[in-house]
Amino acid sequence: MPPGPIQRAGEPGWKDPEPPRASRWRGRLPWSPGRIVAMYALLAALWIELSDRAVEMLIGDHAGTTIQTVKGIGFVAVTSVMLYALIGRRERGLRSRGAEIRATIESMADAVLVVDADTRIVEANQAAAELLCVGSREALLMPLAAWGRRFQLRYLDGTPVPFERFATVRALAGARVPAYDAIIRADDGRDVFLSVTASPVLVPGGGTELAVTVLRDVSPARRLDELRDEFLSTAAHEFKTPLAVIKAYAQLLQKRDPGEAQALVVIQRQVERLNRLVQHLLDTTRLRLDAREGHLQRFDLGSLAGEVVARMRASAPAHALSVASVPAQVIADRDRLARVITSLVDNAVRFSPGGGTVSARVESRDGEAIFSVEDHGLGIPPERQARIFERYYRAHAGTPQDYGGLGLGLDMSREIVALHGGRMWFESAPGHGSTFHFSVPLAGEGSA
Amino acid sequence: MTERSVLVVEDDPDLLALLEMILQDAGHTVRTAQEGGAALARVAEEMPGVILLDMRMPGMNGWEFAREFRARYGRACPIIVVTAAENARGRAEEIGAEGWLSKPFELEEVLATVARHLSSAEAPPATH
Repeated sequence: MPPGPIQRAGEPGWKDPEPPRASRWRGRLPWSPGRIVAMYALLAALWIELSDRAVEMLIGDHAGTTIQTVKGIGFVAVTSVMLYALIGRRERGLRSRGAEIRATIESMADAVLVVDADTRIVEANQAAAELLCVGSREALLMPLAAWGRRFQLRYLDGTPVPFERFATVRALAGARVPAYDAIIRADDGRDVFLSVTASPVLVPGGGTELAVTVLRDVSPARRLDELRDEFLSTAAHEFKTPLAVIKAYAQLLQKRDPGEAQALVVIQRQVERLNRLVQHLLDTTRLRLDAREGHLQRFDLGSLAGEVVARMRASAPAHALSVASVPAQVIADRDRLARVITSLVDNAVRFSPGGGTVSARVESRDGEAIFSVEDHGLGIPPERQARIFERYYRAHAGTPQDYGGLGLGLDMSREIVALHGGRMWFESAPGHGSTFHFSVPLAGEGSA
Repeated sequence: MTERSVLVVEDDPDLLALLEMILQDAGHTVRTAQEGGAALARVAEEMPGVILLDMRMPGMNGWEFAREFRARYGRACPIIVVTAAENARGRAEEIGAEGWLSKPFELEEVLATVARHLSSAEAPPATH
């Protein structure tokens, strides 16, 4: 009995003439046109060579026109039968190959849509029907635009994916589209998180006639992510109330008994340190949960850098913190960029344990405001440089230069900068120090 | 003229006691509640001059309290959100609060914020 998917894919009423020979693709390939023509030519040559001799042997020299005619008819009849057999075999082979390819698509766990050059869905597999909760695959064979509307294809932030940005449409234009995440509303009303990819179907010598789109249901992984972020966020939140109580009592005691000021100042400093760690956790997790909840305003990045550096001088007594800025108006989330600057300057201080100068500056060039901070500390070993923007990665972990931290600062910073349409980069030489930069677009003249 | 009271709504007893103590030390009349329902009862007894409101509380939380308070009394008294959220201003905007304090706070900051909102609320509340 053939496996289930083949039954579904095969056309009704048509039976496979050959029992499937397991995993022998080559054995089941139909004869190529070249082979058929070669066979025909060989047979014709043999006929020409041998038929006259055969007639001579059988009837003698008296072969007349009638016999020539019969011979010709015989040739046509024999070669026709042979061609019929060969073409039939090839046809069956092709159909069987097509059924196998359909069965392959059908057996895929991911939803697959095949779209033609007129952006109509011409093929969909069972997984697609199940993912979208429609009764049959045929229900999905519709224009792609209508499909997008019916199932409300959206980005993760809820905005609809514009038709020209559909992975399939870009694939039809010849692009191989890297996976992106989207949400779709299945027919039963559920929202499904998808990872969407599409590729042009490249036919040798031809243009792109088809594109194949794969929709992978990533809801379970996504829910786990959200759960983890919620958990971290709640846990961090729960830390802050006790911190608030400890800090406030320390301040109260310090006011009432100035004699114990030194110890109480240390308690407050440590509370602040704990609070910064908790804040880091909150920032990075929250950033993912509500990436768009930002408060954009117009401000001067130079004066923000000045403020942040001034605030940090107290906690870095061994370092000479300087800042040199030109005015650079940006439209951005001021609090979040302040955190990026804090994080970068904090790293510069932390990883130059011998003290020394930490120089921050803000420049304005090519339509961008660029913040940089340079230290003369440890630097980052080349083999660790590629990973430093990874979440939780700490380049100095497990080395004698492990100065703590959660490994969240750079990951968070880069995400914040990316949300502003900017980028982040660095130069670093072990033993000589590092310089970290980020850029954000300058505000236009007219914008408020 | 007697100053109107400060209502502190906070579920952590230590923090509640501390806020009560420092505000009383600063000469304010302080009333307390450990969750939104009790806070509404305090408000019904007497309209405070300013409310310090924690957001995450068992029982009626800060969001529900703020919604209920606005529905019953409009803007009869300013609300200051006291929150551990990383984005205190965002929380304050969510419920239309007049101010915010993020945990952990400076004592001076608490006193200054309360004083500022009490004085601005000294004028008798306008009826809507």
